[in-house]
Amino acid sequence: MPSTPIISVENLGKTYTVPEREAGVKAAVVSLFNRKTRDVQAVRDVSFDIHPGEIVGFLGPNGAGKTTTMKMLSGLLHPTAGNASVLGFTPWERDRAYLGQMTLIMGQRNQLQWDIPVIDSYQLFKAIFRISDADYKQRLDELIEWLELQSLINKPARNLSLGERMKCEIAGSLLHQPRVLYLDEPTIGLDISMQRKIREFVAEYNARTGAAVMLTSHYMADVEALCERVIVIHHGTLLYDGDLHGLVSRFSPFKTIAIEFSEPMVANGQLADANDRYGEIVSANDTGWEVRVPKSETAAVASRLLADLPVADLTISEPPIEEVIEQVFATGVET
Amino acid sequence: MPSPLKIAPTFASAYRTGPIPRRFFLGVVNAAVQFATQMLAITIVFNQTESLGGWSREDLIVLVGVHAIVSGILGMIFSPSISSFLESIRLGTFDFLLTKPVDAQLLASVQSVAPQSTVDGGGSGHYWLWSGTAGAGFGLVVLMFILLLLAGLCMVYSFMLVLASMAFWFVKLDNIMNIFNVMFGNAGTWPITIFPAWLRGMLTFIIPIAFAVTIPAQALTGALTVGNVALTFALAAVFLTASRFFWRFAIRQYTGASA
Repeated sequence: MPSTPIISVENLGKTYTVPEREAGVKAAVVSLFNRKTRDVQAVRDVSFDIHPGEIVGFLGPNGAGKTTTMKMLSGLLHPTAGNASVLGFTPWERDRAYLGQMTLIMGQRNQLQWDIPVIDSYQLFKAIFRISDADYKQRLDELIEWLELQSLINKPARNLSLGERMKCEIAGSLLHQPRVLYLDEPTIGLDISMQRKIREFVAEYNARTGAAVMLTSHYMADVEALCERVIVIHHGTLLYDGDLHGLVSRFSPFKTIAIEFSEPMVANGQLADANDRYGEIVSANDTGWEVRVPKSETAAVASRLLADLPVADLTISEPPIEEVIEQVFATGVET
Repeated sequence: MPSPLKIAPTFASAYRTGPIPRRFFLGVVNAAVQFATQMLAITIVFNQTESLGGWSREDLIVLVGVHAIVSGILGMIFSPSISSFLESIRLGTFDFLLTKPVDAQLLASVQSVAPQSTVDGGGSGHYWLWSGTAGAGFGLVVLMFILLLLAGLCMVYSFMLVLASMAFWFVKLDNIMNIFNVMFGNAGTWPITIFPAWLRGMLTFIIPIAFAVTIPAQALTGALTVGNVALTFALAAVFLTASRFFWRFAIRQYTGASA
């Protein structure tokens, strides 16, 4: 990509020192005088660039180091190794010019004041980010329209449903029109319809403002809908950085062949043989089979199926992205 | 950066609160009970003696009034804000405060306002009526009183901030804040001159109750010395600077609650 990276991360690392002790009263008393600690490398040697306008999925299982990386990039944590530059700033120096151009949204935490109407929290953000009256009004009107907030902003945050509150959280976090968005599981716990709305909104904000977005989510629907590029991190180490579909072809050694029979077919003991001849029969009934085959044998198996069976339709597909990601996390495949 | 004067009133409009009339009513009842209890205590003491550690009955009423004002200000802004700050450390929502382009210490210090606490400060007006000394001086005396009160508040705020900053290491500090509140609430209503030397030292230089209450009250009772004034202003500057450094050091230890 020709543009200058908006986020540039080089060999970033973070080691936490965490206390630990054995179970029991004796160990508790001993720990008061002799505290044992252990170093945990949450992030190690991670490097990547993100360009303006990109939406990048940041994937990894729980405890992979995603949130720690995001916290370092948003200036909350000091790394123990490496460098990063976002918008030309070193994030953990927490320059106000930088903080005024980025936002961090965490699906599991709220920044809206709980007991007061949402609009009062927005007023607070207006003062904090020094948003002019004209800009505030224009942006608020836009956000209200995009996210359908009209009936919500005069209610205290505590009276909103989870989905409503998340929409209000997002609107509040974007009032200052940030150029970099860190979204940490923004759709967690939301119903399907609300997840879709949030996704559509993020895509629209990105398209309209050209902001760079870094997104973590355990919902692959979020990633597939928004991210052409994904970065996969596991045990704090970067496993993959590239095209979402490239992730599937790189890490999945299998393809799925689905066939539909032209006439109902009773297996009659053929399935045992079929497993040997075609591959793993994932599902089978009178009208069709689904066969998982090694990628290199896809063409040969497809030919055999067409030759041996009364096939009306045959489809070859990559396995679902969830399956691939799960496999990557489970095996920890290195690039 | 937005000025504190601009941010603080905005926070005031965004205070965390429940139904205001009920809270104010409870605040009035609380202030009335405290007033009656303290007046009873003063009456009992001065039925036995003419002077308590060099303080007359009127002087002591002034002192209780000053304590009420300081308590009201602490209870209106700093105490609820520090409580919110401690809670945000525990829940991990302090992350949001740190990602704002304003001074995190300022935001943490004024993030919650409890307007019903003004009842405590306002209630102290009753004390003034009882005090012959309070009405005796105006002008410079009142100006000096206000300046000393501000300096004393700076010291108490600094002390609270340092205590609260320890949450970056220990996370749960509610009990320590309770100890502070109890000490301030009980010891602060008496002149520090009546305490033994070791306690007096502690209430002067560790928990700066003397500077927050006793010395400002002395400005109104005419017992103020130049040395005390100089010491108060000097220590206020030291406390503020030291707490600022400590805050900056402590904030680097923040790791946030786990995701």
